[in-house]
Amino acid sequence: MTTITYPLSRIEGHARVVIDIHDNEVFRADFQAMEMRGFSHYVRGVPAEQITVIVPRICGVCSTAHQVASVKALEDTFGVTPPPLAQEIREVLLLGQLIQNQATSLFIFTMPDRTNASSLFELSQTESARAREFSLAQMALRIRKIGTDLISLAGGQFIHPIKTVIGGVTSGIPREKADKMIHTIEELLPVAVEMVDIYWDMSMEMGDRIGSWGDDEPAHYLASTGANDYRLNSQRLRVMLPDGTEAPSFDPHDFANYLQISESEYSYAGISSYMGSVVRANSLARINLSESLGTPIADAYRKRFVQTFGKPAHAIMFFDICRGIELVYALEKARQMLECDLEHGETEVGYSPKDGVGYGLVEAPRGPLIHHYEVEDGLIKSADFVIPTVHNMLAIRRALTVVAKRYVSQDGISSELERAVGRVVRAFDPCIACATK
Amino acid sequence: MEPSNDLPKFAVLQLSGCSGCEVSLLNSEEWISNFQLVYMPLVVTSNKIPDDVEVLLVTGGVRTDEDIHNLRKGRSRAKKLIAVGTCALSGGVAQFKDDHIASEAFRQASHRLRMPDMLPHAYPIDRFVDVDLYLPGCPPTPELFMTALKDPEGAKIPAIVCQECGRQKLNDMRPTAITGTRSGVVLPDICLINQGYVCVGTSTRGGCGALCTRPGHACVGCRGPANPYLNKEPKFVIDNLRRVFTRMTDIPEEEINAALESPWLSLFLDQFTDYTQDTELPTRTKEKML
Repeated sequence: MTTITYPLSRIEGHARVVIDIHDNEVFRADFQAMEMRGFSHYVRGVPAEQITVIVPRICGVCSTAHQVASVKALEDTFGVTPPPLAQEIREVLLLGQLIQNQATSLFIFTMPDRTNASSLFELSQTESARAREFSLAQMALRIRKIGTDLISLAGGQFIHPIKTVIGGVTSGIPREKADKMIHTIEELLPVAVEMVDIYWDMSMEMGDRIGSWGDDEPAHYLASTGANDYRLNSQRLRVMLPDGTEAPSFDPHDFANYLQISESEYSYAGISSYMGSVVRANSLARINLSESLGTPIADAYRKRFVQTFGKPAHAIMFFDICRGIELVYALEKARQMLECDLEHGETEVGYSPKDGVGYGLVEAPRGPLIHHYEVEDGLIKSADFVIPTVHNMLAIRRALTVVAKRYVSQDGISSELERAVGRVVRAFDPCIACATK
Repeated sequence: MEPSNDLPKFAVLQLSGCSGCEVSLLNSEEWISNFQLVYMPLVVTSNKIPDDVEVLLVTGGVRTDEDIHNLRKGRSRAKKLIAVGTCALSGGVAQFKDDHIASEAFRQASHRLRMPDMLPHAYPIDRFVDVDLYLPGCPPTPELFMTALKDPEGAKIPAIVCQECGRQKLNDMRPTAITGTRSGVVLPDICLINQGYVCVGTSTRGGCGALCTRPGHACVGCRGPANPYLNKEPKFVIDNLRRVFTRMTDIPEEEINAALESPWLSLFLDQFTDYTQDTELPTRTKEKML
């Protein structure tokens, strides 16, 4: 038995791929999370109302989703309904995170794979990139920063936001600041569209070159965005079966009846399945489960995607393309929302803390995230974090097995395998800090 | 790959942390034209730190035996090493509670086959290597990153957060109860302590631009204690804060004490100071603090 280990770069956190090969046949491929955050243990006994400041630190990449999910879980426990204006501002906040995350995954993590470059910065120095009128790296970081600025605007702080509180948000978004943000978005939206086009073309070329978009068997898809309403501040979970039909949706309270989560001996991350089946979350799941995003440019991209690749689309690299569609959507949607009055009106309601159990759901960039708390005597008795990356673990493992079999033959192991392994994992954009909460 | 330019080389080594520091660094594009990024697994595929690195930024705490190995290797290849963020300076959020049951549950869960061993604690990096500069913050702002890379010696860091806050401290506005984590309407331009919020900006190192307090959110102290409290036990910071609240408010003493000992503050306050009980750590001088 030969064991090959590939450490992974250009993903969030420390992980590796391990492939066991016996007589030139792939025996097993595994994706292993190499660190453990352990927050579910450490937050026990913390005063419940303070947990919303602590849990964003599970992950600096996904902090916004954790903060909102945490607040929603306590609102569920205390029986509080935040006012509509607060819901809108939380949506802007989550759009900011989607922009930041999709721009990072698209340009920093996966664009270099399209030309076998080691990084976006190296890619920017190639002849074909120089021929463009702008620096890919600088533009990528500038687009990404719109997400960060939106998080600051709607969340009060640029990485670990603080404005979302139990009962609502602490303040509205002043007209002047909203207008400034709209101006920046209008300036950079055409650049983002051009970058997504470049990315799409590069991906088509790569697909032709390697002769595959990452084939794998069809899977189930899990998302909490709607068919015609792409709201990230979401309420229910939806599932698409491999043939494209939709299973009954479910409430976050019932997640354990549908999602089975277990631990692994070979990784610090858990593994979940949808009623025993391989399930996929993240961009492709949301696009497969959508009929319309509700913004013009993104809907045109979505139409092109469905016409080119079908619905549901199953190949692995489609996750990346869908992230491009979502980046454009989030920019367009943020502009739309900022044009409305987010300054005047009730931003929060009062509440009385009480003991009980609560669930908070949001659609994080990587899929549905649920925080589930049990509060006793005002303290956290137990905290469970249902993590999007964990939903994808079986799917990642299966896709890695498929790709390993493609590049391991009687002639030996192809040198393309390492790159292929990186492309597959990055398509799922796993977050190891979250997965080992 | 051909060496693309002769800009100074810098590298980023991430130990056990949340990537928030890296995310902050990526919010600045200024370094692209000033430095050459040669190693940072989050954004560059490169298996090892080259041995001619000018500056190595280390984020995250030491949590596994692999972290120790990578940290020592990184140190030997860099001329200058900067410890970045709460976790590198203190071990990190992952050890903010001294709860035996939780630690035991964590220890049991953190044993897996073919995985790096988890250490019993998360350690600050200067327990294992020499550090040339400390850059505290959770995370440090992009501007602070640029200062650390470009001109740390010439930097003028405000002593405390209040110096950049712009909110006015009033003598005749004395709250009688803590507003706590629950919010009310925050009045503009007036000190948050005058409004009953548990803001610890008065004892917290400046340099962040007061980015939380200016829009109306109490400082949680993520930049760590100001210079007078370096290398001192946590109680010195807490005592100073208690004096501030006694002087500026009419909140009962027990209520102040309970608020100052709350976990969300100990997250930062203790973390930056509890290392003082670790005799294996070097003394941190204010000259090395950014």
